[in-house]
Amino acid sequence: MRLGRISKALGVAAVAALALSACAGNSGGTSSSSAAAAKSGGTATVVEVNAFNTFNSNTADGNTDINSKVAYPTHSSFYYIDNKLNVVHNDKFGKFEKISDNPLTVKYTINDGVKWSDGAPVDASDMILQWAVASGYYNDADATGKKGTSYFSYAGDTTGLGLTSFPEIGDNNRSITIKYSKPFADWEIALDMSAAIPAHVLAQKAGLKDSQAFIDLLKGLPKGDPKAPKPANAQLKKMADFFNTGFDTKTLPSDPSLYLSDGPYIVKSMTPDQSLTMVRNKDYNWGPTPSLDEITVRYIGDSAAQVQALKNGEADIVSPQASSDTVEQLKAIQGVTVDQGNQLAYDHLDLNFSGPLKDLNVRQAFMKTVPRQDIVDKIIKKLDPNAKPLDSQIFVPQQASYADSVKSNGSADYQSVDIDGAKKLLNGATPTIKIMYNKDNPNRVDAFSLIRESATKAGFKIVDGGLGKSDWGKALGDGSYDATIFGWINPGVGVSGIPQIFKTGNGSNFNKFSDPAADQLMDKLIQTTDKTQQNDLEKQIDQKIWASGYGLPLFQSVNVDAYSDRITGVKLMPNQTGVWWNFWEWAAK
Amino acid sequence: MVTYIVRRLITAVLILLGASFVVYILTAASGDPLQEYRGSNLPNVADLIKARTQLLDLDTPAPLRYFKWLAGAGGCLIPFAGSCDLGKNLAGQPVTAALGQAMTQTLGLVTAAIILAVLVGVFLGIITALRQYSALDYGVTFMAFLFFSLPIFWVAVLLKEYGAIDFNNFLRDPQIPLLTALTIGLVVAVLAWIISGGAVKRRAVSAAAAFVVVTAVLLYLSVTNWFRSPGLGPVVILIAGAAIAFGVTLLSAGLKNRKALYSALITVGLGIIAYYSVQGLLDQATPLMIVLLAIATVLVGAAVGYFMGGYDRGQNMRAGGITAFLIGVLIVADKYMQNWPDYFNNGRVRGRPIATIGAATPNLNGDYWVSGLDAFTHLILPTVALVLISLASYTRFTRSSMLEIMNMDYIRTARAKGLSERTVVMRHAFRNALIPIATVVAFDIGGLIGGAVITETVFAIPGMGVLFFDGISHVDPNPVMGVFIVTAITAMVFNLIADLVYSALDPRVRVKS
Repeated sequence: MRLGRISKALGVAAVAALALSACAGNSGGTSSSSAAAAKSGGTATVVEVNAFNTFNSNTADGNTDINSKVAYPTHSSFYYIDNKLNVVHNDKFGKFEKISDNPLTVKYTINDGVKWSDGAPVDASDMILQWAVASGYYNDADATGKKGTSYFSYAGDTTGLGLTSFPEIGDNNRSITIKYSKPFADWEIALDMSAAIPAHVLAQKAGLKDSQAFIDLLKGLPKGDPKAPKPANAQLKKMADFFNTGFDTKTLPSDPSLYLSDGPYIVKSMTPDQSLTMVRNKDYNWGPTPSLDEITVRYIGDSAAQVQALKNGEADIVSPQASSDTVEQLKAIQGVTVDQGNQLAYDHLDLNFSGPLKDLNVRQAFMKTVPRQDIVDKIIKKLDPNAKPLDSQIFVPQQASYADSVKSNGSADYQSVDIDGAKKLLNGATPTIKIMYNKDNPNRVDAFSLIRESATKAGFKIVDGGLGKSDWGKALGDGSYDATIFGWINPGVGVSGIPQIFKTGNGSNFNKFSDPAADQLMDKLIQTTDKTQQNDLEKQIDQKIWASGYGLPLFQSVNVDAYSDRITGVKLMPNQTGVWWNFWEWAAK
Repeated sequence: MVTYIVRRLITAVLILLGASFVVYILTAASGDPLQEYRGSNLPNVADLIKARTQLLDLDTPAPLRYFKWLAGAGGCLIPFAGSCDLGKNLAGQPVTAALGQAMTQTLGLVTAAIILAVLVGVFLGIITALRQYSALDYGVTFMAFLFFSLPIFWVAVLLKEYGAIDFNNFLRDPQIPLLTALTIGLVVAVLAWIISGGAVKRRAVSAAAAFVVVTAVLLYLSVTNWFRSPGLGPVVILIAGAAIAFGVTLLSAGLKNRKALYSALITVGLGIIAYYSVQGLLDQATPLMIVLLAIATVLVGAAVGYFMGGYDRGQNMRAGGITAFLIGVLIVADKYMQNWPDYFNNGRVRGRPIATIGAATPNLNGDYWVSGLDAFTHLILPTVALVLISLASYTRFTRSSMLEIMNMDYIRTARAKGLSERTVVMRHAFRNALIPIATVVAFDIGGLIGGAVITETVFAIPGMGVLFFDGISHVDPNPVMGVFIVTAITAMVFNLIADLVYSALDPRVRVKS
C-alpha cells in the first residue's frame, strides 16, 4: 500500500462530498418539517369506493356518488335531507317560501354575508345558473339530438323547473322568484344549491365581464323550443361547454376559482385516484358548524380492503357493500361500531298483466304463495337481524307514512304463505309461469328458488327464466316472461318518481299495470303541493296497487356503516348521500 | 441486423392492429354498457341513456366504432402534435390522462418487485442447483411452488392481517418475550442447519451459532426498544462492511487476490469516515443528491481499487466499487432508520406505520427521508406479495439452466484446468446460465406493466390493472384499449429486446437478417 495513492483517493472523495453539498435541499432539517404536520385537532378519514373526478357533479358524466358527496360539504343550500327523509331548512343560508299556490310561485332569498371562498357573494346569479341548468330552459335539441343545442348537461330530472319561466330577481340581487305554469308537487326540492357552480366564475371563463353580464345574457335569450331549433348562442354555448367539462380534474387545479366553496369545508389537496382532503372554510357561518378540522376521503374499491384499512387505523368511517362476510369481519374488530339498516333500494316481484297471469285470481294466488318472510330470513337476516319484509309499494319504513299505509294498503293479506288459499283461487288450474331475474345476483337466485319451491306446492309450474347480468335488463318489459324479480330505488323524498313506475304506458312500467283510478290519483299527486295531501294520495295509490295483484315488494337492501371509536356522531342514512348527510355532527374523541 | 429489426417492427404493427381489433370487439361484446339504467326507475332515465349512448357512441356498431377509435389512436403516432386521442372513459376523462397516472402507479409498484424477484430468484436458483437434491433444494422447491400456487388475494389479505395490522399492534409496545425470542432463534437454527450443508459437525456449529446470535440480537433489540428508534450505528456498519468486503471479494476476485481484498477493506474504512462526514449533508437530502452520491461512492470505490495497482486493476476496481456501493446503501438505510421515530410519531401516521392501502399517506408533507419511509411502508406488502408469486419461475428457471450448464463439457474442462470452484461457478457457469433467464425477465417485464390486477385492487393502488378491470366491468372499451395498447407495445418491445440480448449474450446465436 502506498499512502500517497490512498490520500489522493481520500482527496477526491472529499472534493466530491463538498460539491454535493451544493445540491442539498433546503427543507431545513427533519424535525421541523414533520413536527409541522402533527395533530391539529379533529380529523377523520372516510372511505369511498369511487374516485373523485370533477368539481361539477351536476352533469350527466359528473353525477357519480363520490362527486356529489364531495360537493355536499363544500356547498351550502336552502335545505338538506335528514336520515328520516325529511326536508330540513337551513335558515342561516337563506329562506324559500311558497308565496302563491295559483300559479305556484316560490321565492328564494339568500342571506346577506353568504359568500364563496373567493369573497364574492352567493347571490341571484348563482341561483339563476342553477335554475338554467336544472330547468333545461334554453335547450332546443330535438329527440334525435341532430338538430338544435343541448347547453348545460344535467343528470337530474328537468320536468319540475322546466315548467317555469325566467325567474324574477329582487332584494338587491339576493333573491329570485320562480313561477310555475302548472302546480308541481316536488317544488320544495326543485332548486338545489348543494352542488351549485359559482356564476361569476363561469361568466369570467366564458369571457363575460361579471355575474351581472351573465344575468343580462340569460335574461335576453328566449326559451328553447325543440320543435323549432335555433342556431346556438355562441356565448351561452361557450359557458355551457366550460360548465360541462371545465371542472373535471383529478388533481387540485392551480386556479382556485375552479373549486370555490360556500360550505363548511373546502378542498385542500387531492391525490389522483387515491385521496382528497377537505379543511374548514374559514369564512363559513351560515349553517350547521362542523366540529372536525379536516376530513380526508380515501378511495378503496374492495370491501375486504376497506375492512382491513379500518382495522389498521388508516380509515375511520367505512360503508362497504353489505355481505355477511363483511359484517362478520367488521363486528370482530375491537373498538369499531357497526350500524346496520335499510337502503332505499329494494327488491320486488312484478307480475305481468298479460299471459297466464292476466287473470286477477291467478295473480293473487301467485302472490299468496310467495314466502316473503322466508326470503328475508334466508337472504337479509344474516346481514341485518332486524330486517323485515317491505310492505308498501310506495313508502319505505324510514318515512312517517309507512306504518299508516301498511295498515290499510292490503299487504296484511300477504304476510304469510297461504297455499290452500292459492289453490282455492286457482280452482284446479296449473298455470306455467316463467320468472325472469338476474342469475348473476345470488340474492335474486335465492329469492327465485324460494318462490319456485313454494309456488309449485300450490300447483304452479315454474320455469326458470334467469338471464345473465348483461341480458336481464334488456329483457324487461319485452313479454318473454310472466313474472320478474329485480330492484328499484325509492326516491325517498319527492313524489315525481311514482308515475314513472306505476302510470299506464310509462317508461319503467314493465308489467303493463294499468288502473285508470290510480292514473287519476297520480295525475293529481304530481300537481299537489301540500305534503299532507300528497301522503293521502300516495296511500290511496298504494292501496290500488296492492288490490290489483301487481306483485310484491320483497325486501330493502342492507346498508352497513362502521366507524372507529376515534369518531362520534356517525349515523346511518338510507339515501345516496350515505354517512355524509350529517358530517357536521362528526367529532373526534 | 437492421433489416431484422425493421421486419420485426412491421410484424409487430400488424399484430397490434389485429389484436387491438379483436380486443375491442370482445370488450364491446362482453356486456351491456347501459345495464345500470335498465330497470332503473329514475324519472329521467331516457335522458341518461341518451347521454351514455352519445358518450360511448353506441349507435355505431362496434366494428365501425373500432375504426373511429383507431383514427384517434393513430394521432398518437405523430410526436408532439398533441393529437393523441384514445377516447374518453365513462366519467368523461380522456384515457390518455388516466393511462399516464395509472402507469406511474404501476411502475412504482412493480419495479421494486421485479428487481427483488429476479435477485432472490436467481440467487436461490443457483444455490439449489449447486446443492441439488439436498434438504435445501427440496425446501426451496416446495416453498416456491407453494407460493406460486397460493391465490394472491388470499396472500395479500394474510399479509395485511399479520404484516400490517399485527405488526403495528406489536410496535405499540415492541417487547419480544423471552420465549418468542427463543422460538425464533430455534427456527433460524433449523434453517441454518438446512442451508449450511456439509458434515454434521459443521451444520451443528452453524445452527448453534445462529441460535445464539439470533436470540441474543432479538433480546437486545427488545431491551433497547430498537423497533421504536432503529438504527445501525457505525459499529454495525463497520462489522457488516467488513463482511461485505470479504464476500464481494470472494465472489468477484477471489480472496487470493489480496489487492482486491485490501481495496474493498479500505473502501469500508472510507465508508466509516463518510458515515460521520455526510450526516449533515444527508439531513437535507434530495433524490438528485442521493443519485449523485451513489455515483460518487462507486467512483471512490473504483478509484481506491485503481490506486491499489497490481496486475489486475479491473478486479480491484470492481471489488472496491461494489463494496462502496453496498456500504453506501448501509449508510442510507441507517439514515432512514434514524428518521423512523419522526415518521412513526407523525400525526398522520398515528403510530401505525405499515399501511394496507394506497401508495402514500395523504397530507404527510415530510422531507426526503420521511416520505421515503412512507413509500416504503406502503409498498412493502404489495411488493412482498408480488415477489412471492413470481419467485417460483425465476428459481426454477435458474436452477434448471444452471444444472444443465454445470454438466457441460467445458465446465469439466475448466475444472480439469485446475480453476478454483469460484471461477468455475461464477465465471464459466453462472454467466452462461443467465442467458435463458434474460429472456424470461424480458417477458415478465412486458407482462407486469399491464398491471397486477388483483394486487392493485386489494391494496387500492390505482394502476393499470384497476383501469383495465374498471373498463371491463363497465363494458367501456376505451380504457381497456388504452391498457391493451401499452401492454402490447411493451410486450413486443421487450420480446424484441430479449431476442437481441440473446444474440448479444450468446455468440452462437445470430439474428438472421
